[in-house]
Amino acid sequence: MSGKTSATTGQGDWGYQRYFQRHLLTGTVFLLILGWSVVDLGISPQLFLSGLPHFFNLVREMFPPNWEVLASGKVLWSVLETLSMAFVGTFLGAILSFLLALFAANNLALSKMVRETARGIMAAERALPTLVLILLLVVMIGLGPFSGMICIAIGSVGSLGKLFAEAIETVDPKPIESLESVGANKIQVIRFAVLPQVLPSLIANTLYRFDINLRVALFLGVVGGGGIGFDLHLAMSLFKYADALAITAVIFIMVWLAEKISDYLRKMVIGREVLQ
Amino acid sequence: MLAVKGITKKLPDGRLLLREISFEAKKGEFIGILGESGVGKTVLLRCINGLTTPDSGEVILNEDGNPQKINGKKGQELRRIRRRIGMIFQGSILVKRLSVLENVLTGGLGRISTMRSLLYGFTDKEVQAALSALEKVGVKHLAGRRAETLSGGEMQRVAIARALFQEPCLLLADEPVANLDPKNTEVVLDYLKPLTKEMAIIAVFHAPELVSRYCTRAIAIKDGTVVYDGSPHLSSSVLEYIYGTGPAVKSA
Repeated sequence: MSGKTSATTGQGDWGYQRYFQRHLLTGTVFLLILGWSVVDLGISPQLFLSGLPHFFNLVREMFPPNWEVLASGKVLWSVLETLSMAFVGTFLGAILSFLLALFAANNLALSKMVRETARGIMAAERALPTLVLILLLVVMIGLGPFSGMICIAIGSVGSLGKLFAEAIETVDPKPIESLESVGANKIQVIRFAVLPQVLPSLIANTLYRFDINLRVALFLGVVGGGGIGFDLHLAMSLFKYADALAITAVIFIMVWLAEKISDYLRKMVIGREVLQ
Repeated sequence: MLAVKGITKKLPDGRLLLREISFEAKKGEFIGILGESGVGKTVLLRCINGLTTPDSGEVILNEDGNPQKINGKKGQELRRIRRRIGMIFQGSILVKRLSVLENVLTGGLGRISTMRSLLYGFTDKEVQAALSALEKVGVKHLAGRRAETLSGGEMQRVAIARALFQEPCLLLADEPVANLDPKNTEVVLDYLKPLTKEMAIIAVFHAPELVSRYCTRAIAIKDGTVVYDGSPHLSSSVLEYIYGTGPAVKSA
């Protein structure tokens, strides 16, 4: 391969042959990885086809959904638990993220060490999968929605903190200087010049994060965070498929509604900015 | 009251922007600074209140016989001196998403404790003072509006109100009437001029005719040095020298 490459490095030779040679290595590596992954996954059409009858059995057992499971009010209670887990977790996460973002933004002139530390914390959080985090928290705090809430709060810091820091870095520097020029200190500058400028962006990003966190809250329920995710997991484990479908319907409506509402609020916050 | 002594400032590329700039200012004076664009007028103003640190020279604010050096100060001490120096920036410096009244109140942040300002604890007395500052520049009716909804002339008047509320002994203004139409230019400068009863004003201007109409003294900068310091009514030959390649003149 290398011999061929050196033979065709003549000027102006950008035709098909050259193109093929340039991408031969990348292509080979990609195909090798793909091939190995397929083998490793044990993908077989046969297995998939033989599973189909089970699927139809499952669907048959699910219908009609058992709506009575909702009558006891326990499911509704779980919905509230999931919602509040996501809500409080996102709120706490947003506050943590804002504080970290203040240290991480490069226009607030804090020392380089502080900045790198704050960025390091956020990068470390991003590298830590939510699943690992909840398993650690369940060991530390125990099962239940409190662990789930803390997990959501910490899990939001990596992405929200980064977005917040970027928002802070794009503020108009003139009001900051103008407040410094009257003798305002750093905290006052942040409160009166930085915060008002970034608030719409903070709110919009936090609402978006809430949508994500609601899904995370469902998933955390399965792993031991409580809420409606746990109810679904329980119904499935006990082969109560009709119950599971009713719960799934509730989850579907909850997520759909939450997304509509946060979309609406986000448009309101951003839309007002555009109008003025 | 203010003494600027031998201010020298280099550009990042090592070129000298300001060379040994020296002058003094007293209460009651309205000094207009003239010079070609890019000559360093803005940098000079920034050196005076410490937003930019000069490479050498010093700026001394002497209020009530208590001289204080501004450059080289940091933190609390710097903030205490800055409290006494108001600044109206080129264009507007208002926080666009705060109300007009809140913008005026921020002028007092230097004397309000951190905790109180965080909790938004402006006193009734402070709010009254801010409103009367707005009244003095004729925009009290705008107090509740968001700053971003104002016109350029209104914004500059609010900026003046903010400086009034700050109660400085020295006011720096960087092209306070840039981008304003002739009528608003007059309005803003008519509000600015009487303030010299309480303080000294140093303002950067583009138009020499405004300096001769409103200022008590003119300072011109060319090639980094003060080439003229005297009467605000500059002769055409002096102006030609400042803005063009006319013959050198002695300062009046």
